[in-house]
Amino acid sequence: MIDSLHQFITTLVTQGMLPEMFQYPFVTYALIAALLTGPLLGALGTLVVVKRLAFFSEAVGHGALTGIAIGILLGEPATQPVAALFSFCLCFALLLHWVKSRTQVPYDALVGVFLAFAIALGAALLLYVAKKVNVHILENVLFGSILTVTPVDLLILAIISAISLLLALRFANQALMASLQPDLARVQGVGGEKARVTLFDYAFILLIALVTVAAVKIIGAVLVGALLLIPATTARLISRNIRQFFIRTLLISTGCCVAGVVLPMAFELPVPSGAAIVLLASTLFLSTVLLNQLKILRIA
Amino acid sequence: MGPSIILNQTGLIIGDNTLLKPANLTLEAGKLHLLTGPNGAGKSSLLRSMMGLMPHSGDIHWQWPGKASLPAYIPQLAFFDATLPVTVEDYLHASIHTRAFFLKKSKAQKQRLQSLLEKVGLQDKTQRKLGQLSGGERQRLLFARALAQDTTLWFMDEPMTGLDQDAQQTIEQLILQLKAQRCTLVMVHHDHDFVRRHADQVVVVNQGIERSGSPEQIYGASHNQDDIPARSLTVSRTSSTSEVCS
Repeated sequence: MIDSLHQFITTLVTQGMLPEMFQYPFVTYALIAALLTGPLLGALGTLVVVKRLAFFSEAVGHGALTGIAIGILLGEPATQPVAALFSFCLCFALLLHWVKSRTQVPYDALVGVFLAFAIALGAALLLYVAKKVNVHILENVLFGSILTVTPVDLLILAIISAISLLLALRFANQALMASLQPDLARVQGVGGEKARVTLFDYAFILLIALVTVAAVKIIGAVLVGALLLIPATTARLISRNIRQFFIRTLLISTGCCVAGVVLPMAFELPVPSGAAIVLLASTLFLSTVLLNQLKILRIA
Repeated sequence: MGPSIILNQTGLIIGDNTLLKPANLTLEAGKLHLLTGPNGAGKSSLLRSMMGLMPHSGDIHWQWPGKASLPAYIPQLAFFDATLPVTVEDYLHASIHTRAFFLKKSKAQKQRLQSLLEKVGLQDKTQRKLGQLSGGERQRLLFARALAQDTTLWFMDEPMTGLDQDAQQTIEQLILQLKAQRCTLVMVHHDHDFVRRHADQVVVVNQGIERSGSPEQIYGASHNQDDIPARSLTVSRTSSTSEVCS
């Protein structure tokens, strides 16, 4: 199916309807990955913002440093240490959540401790690993590279996206209400059904770990947390209701992913795709803040 | 015996602190039960224990028809993040419908939302963000959410605290309507005048259930609302399932 799509795109290039860079298969793969990653991160990002878990997703993203190093040490391919990355991110997130529910330490302080630990451990292990593999391969995993996307990655992304879509259609309201008012959701339920708030918390953690792994090729492990946060934070500034908030987050996230993949190639810039995507998203956020301020000044 | 919530040696100990000494209590269906007592006496903790939100010792047994398996809960003044783009309509829709909030609402769903908001006088504030609502409006929204459930059992934790007089009156009217419909209301409340006039059962809480009974039994013939005699009373038991919240 992916080959047929690439042939179709090549035909469009031949007819002059698409730029020449699309004649290379890796560009098509990267673009499909961006089109799948953007909505996935956007959808999850809205809940990250509602649940005030921005710092949490950032910590899990940084935990990826250690996951990658462990994967390479255990003999996984340096370009794709998926099993260790996913396992470590998941264990890291579950441990953080478990400690949170059993201590009186404020959540931001707790995440700070875990974040520092993850970076320190990751840095120590990566220095050791760097002696064994080419450090540029690690850069690709940490900050994203469109050259490394394969059809298998696209399949994994498509499966995770499909699962996320089904879960969202069925449980979006329950997840939203459990985030807004967990006690009320526990007692009253949502939509006439009992809301399993704790289960949603753990499912959310699982999804963040899954998405971190799925987005690693395009955005890079370290910057996934940023893309979970920035599009939703931007959309929040310009939305009047939750539907607008959700749709605009998806559009911003997808737009930044696609532009972050295409623009460096179009302008031949030596920028990793993850960095380009996050830079674009950050610029959009700052522009939105400035425009909002100008609007306020004009009204005043 | 009719439907009821039975507390059997229910107590609450956190660390070295005894919040509630073990005690027995029966809350019968179709009545207004008011938990009262000084600040920090453990009223809210007792209410939260009944709803399963706090761990407790002893048993809390719900002897209730299936319809009330999901009770309504009105907490103290609800906090909402003022900057989140969640409107009154969004909140209510996501609370009571299963159709995902990011899909377009159907006409029937919109009509249902409008009718619920009319019941609590919020029909003109459908597009207002939660953070922009006054305290009274937030409480009314929680009532709208609970009304949608068509439940027979309500837990309320000082639902009028922090509200201005108009808002208090509106909430009081809603509570009295529920009482008139013979819903079962379990409510933490400080206003002795309200307790004396409307309660079917008064439960005096002070680090445990001190005593319970009708307002006359608790307050006696005296009109001095702060003069609560220290004697234990047995709760009368008369209720039938079919009459509850009909």
